[in-house]
Amino acid sequence: MAIVKMNKISIIGLNDIKTELVKEIMDLGVVEISSQDSKLTDPEWINYVKKDGNENEVLNLDMKISNLNEVLTSLEKYDTRKRPLFSTRKAISSDEFDEAVLNNNSHVNENVSTVLELNKSFRELCSEENKLEAVILSLKPWVKYTIPLNMTETKYTSIFIGAIPSIADIEKLKAEMSQEIGKFYMNLIESDKDQFYFSFICLKDEKEDVYDLLKKYGFSPILFKDIEGTAAENILKYENYLKDISVKKEEIENKLTELVIFKEEIQLFYDHIIIERDKNKILNNLLKTDTTFYIEGWIPEAKKESVKVVLDEYQCWYDIKQPEEGEEFPVLMKNNSFVQPFESITELYSLPSPSNIDPTIFMTPFYILFFGLMLADVGYGAIMSILCFLVLKKYKPEGGLQKLLKVFFYCGISTAFWGLMFGSVLGDAIQAAAKLLFNSDFIIKPLWLNPMEDPMTLLIFSFVFGVIHLFTGMAVNAYMLVRDGKKLDAVFDIGFWYGFIIGIALWLFGNIIIPGSNLVGKWMTIVFAIGLVLTQGRAKTNVASKLISGVLSLYGITGYLSDILSYSRLLALGLATGVVSSVVSILGSMGGRNVLGILLFAVAMVVGHSFNFAINALGAFVHAARLQYVEFFGKFYEGGGEAFNPLVKNTKYYKIIKEDF
Amino acid sequence: MNILTNGNFLAILGASVAALAGIGSAIGVGIAGSAASGVVAEDPKKFGSTLILQALPGTQGIYGLLIAFIILNKIGLLGGSMAELSAAQGGYFLAASLPIGIVGIISAIHQGKVAASGIMLVGKRPEEIAKAMVYAAMVETYAVLALLISFLMINGIAI
Repeated sequence: MAIVKMNKISIIGLNDIKTELVKEIMDLGVVEISSQDSKLTDPEWINYVKKDGNENEVLNLDMKISNLNEVLTSLEKYDTRKRPLFSTRKAISSDEFDEAVLNNNSHVNENVSTVLELNKSFRELCSEENKLEAVILSLKPWVKYTIPLNMTETKYTSIFIGAIPSIADIEKLKAEMSQEIGKFYMNLIESDKDQFYFSFICLKDEKEDVYDLLKKYGFSPILFKDIEGTAAENILKYENYLKDISVKKEEIENKLTELVIFKEEIQLFYDHIIIERDKNKILNNLLKTDTTFYIEGWIPEAKKESVKVVLDEYQCWYDIKQPEEGEEFPVLMKNNSFVQPFESITELYSLPSPSNIDPTIFMTPFYILFFGLMLADVGYGAIMSILCFLVLKKYKPEGGLQKLLKVFFYCGISTAFWGLMFGSVLGDAIQAAAKLLFNSDFIIKPLWLNPMEDPMTLLIFSFVFGVIHLFTGMAVNAYMLVRDGKKLDAVFDIGFWYGFIIGIALWLFGNIIIPGSNLVGKWMTIVFAIGLVLTQGRAKTNVASKLISGVLSLYGITGYLSDILSYSRLLALGLATGVVSSVVSILGSMGGRNVLGILLFAVAMVVGHSFNFAINALGAFVHAARLQYVEFFGKFYEGGGEAFNPLVKNTKYYKIIKEDF
Repeated sequence: MNILTNGNFLAILGASVAALAGIGSAIGVGIAGSAASGVVAEDPKKFGSTLILQALPGTQGIYGLLIAFIILNKIGLLGGSMAELSAAQGGYFLAASLPIGIVGIISAIHQGKVAASGIMLVGKRPEEIAKAMVYAAMVETYAVLALLISFLMINGIAI
């Protein structure tokens, strides 16, 4: 239930066992090998060591990975098998994995290059297709032009075609042409909303004049290079080409579909290459001499022994020691299986700094409580928990998703519990249904209270929960101060504030609960206020500024006040769930007691409650997190830790299990 | 002019004012939505996370609806038999609807802006979505407080 203790490990060994040892370390998966770049500028080291690494191999493997990725994504497209909702890694023993890699190696490479080849020709066909389609489009206006497009002249005449913008005054153009040029022929072939398409025949000698004149009307000549025959002929030809291409494309797609059966093998190979890449990449963090290598990194203290066994076996020199005072080490949180999923909520904020504390265990009960209070419905809670449970059982997801589902599983139970307390089962759906169908005034009695009828009580309880939450945060802070040997700070900064806040609360509201206790509260407030005034300025040097900062510190009460008021959202969001549910019920019941009305009711229930559940679960998740991050963590928590990142088999498709010997 | 002294009219006006919080939500969700489209254009896989952020400024509209609904329920408009309210009572409902009506509009617009920047954040660093959500939730706090005050006031009005 805390931050795992890390030890610093340094290893020196002979070069010929390096590859083997890195493999063993990877199998163990508990050693973070940290970068040693700082030693390369350290004069004590630089004369003896060089940076290790194998950049070329890494680049080579990275290229393979990107090829395999391309192959897998293209095969994915043609894989018609039903995909599971959550993809999980398949378990495989490490022997089986190695064997499969060895056996399939040549065969997989062959398939990979085939797929890459096919992909390449597919892309080429696509671009050819685009090109042809573009040409066909440009030929379309000239379908009715019966002179071959490559014929641009006869012995005496010049033949050309071109477009004139449709805004040009064609009549005027024709008039001008007949006036200035003696013999010519112009024919409107086609027109669309932008342009007129004309063909012209004129005497070769007059061609320049014709061009000059036409240009005034925005004429642009059109030339088709490398095209013989008429436009219509060519379009027909190209359309046949297109048909050929689509046949070829289909053939390629068929071939790819056939290759889909090799997907699993290729995935396994992909994982293999990833492992190899990571092994080579980590060499960058090693230092080397001509015959030896040097590794430095971190291991969890509890895993020390298993690492020692391996290092002894390889006859390495090694040194395992505690981190120095104040030295930053990578952070790994360890909690029992109930609290562990909530580490993801902590991680979303930030990992604790090594000198801080893992807040997860303190946060977990409050997170569950607040989420439940804000959603508070038996139906929603049950649905949420059951869904999460089924997915966890059926698909066995890993990592972040697994944690999140477990978080929602527990929150669902709490939601259902508070729903019971407030008498909310899918809002008031059951009452509404009973009213609609049987006209009965059946109601579900809340075990505790109905927040709609008695909001003030719940508001007060929201504040009480808030105060407990804040006080827990302050207690953790006090614990850390005591742990670090600052006992007095804990008394002055936490203890006095406890007294002051409790005092004010008693003074103002004490009489409602215990008559006469407001007097106690009054004196507590005064005593602890004096205490705060006297102690909060202790860092200052002269008496006057000590007193001034002491008095100003009382102003901190506004911070506590706003923190506590912030917990009113527990009531407000809880109400939101309930009221939207009853809106749904009322809308659903409007059809009255007949077939259509009942149908309307059913539809309104499904749609309305899905919506209400989605929006309010999101709200509960976000606001429960906010109360932790802003109000609770603000009291003690310091993030900014670097995650422990051991050298492991970071595979995507297969989960490699090392069998025990 | 005597419609302004009609209690029932004033109460219904109050419900309308509360429901106006939806204006803010519409603008806020709109702002966030256009940012989301930009991010999804780059990476369609981010649809889910951007949608969550886009939904956040939508809650003010729901809070407004909620208060409007409570008012209508309380004055019996939904049950079919509307209570006869005095001008003062109607005025109370109108006054009580102001917090969520006004704060709802303004906070939703600003929450929309924060959500939009959060969506940009998710575009660059998808793993930081929780932080983006918390930033947006910081703005929502004030809508929640307004909702609460409106609710408590209406709850306290005697008819």
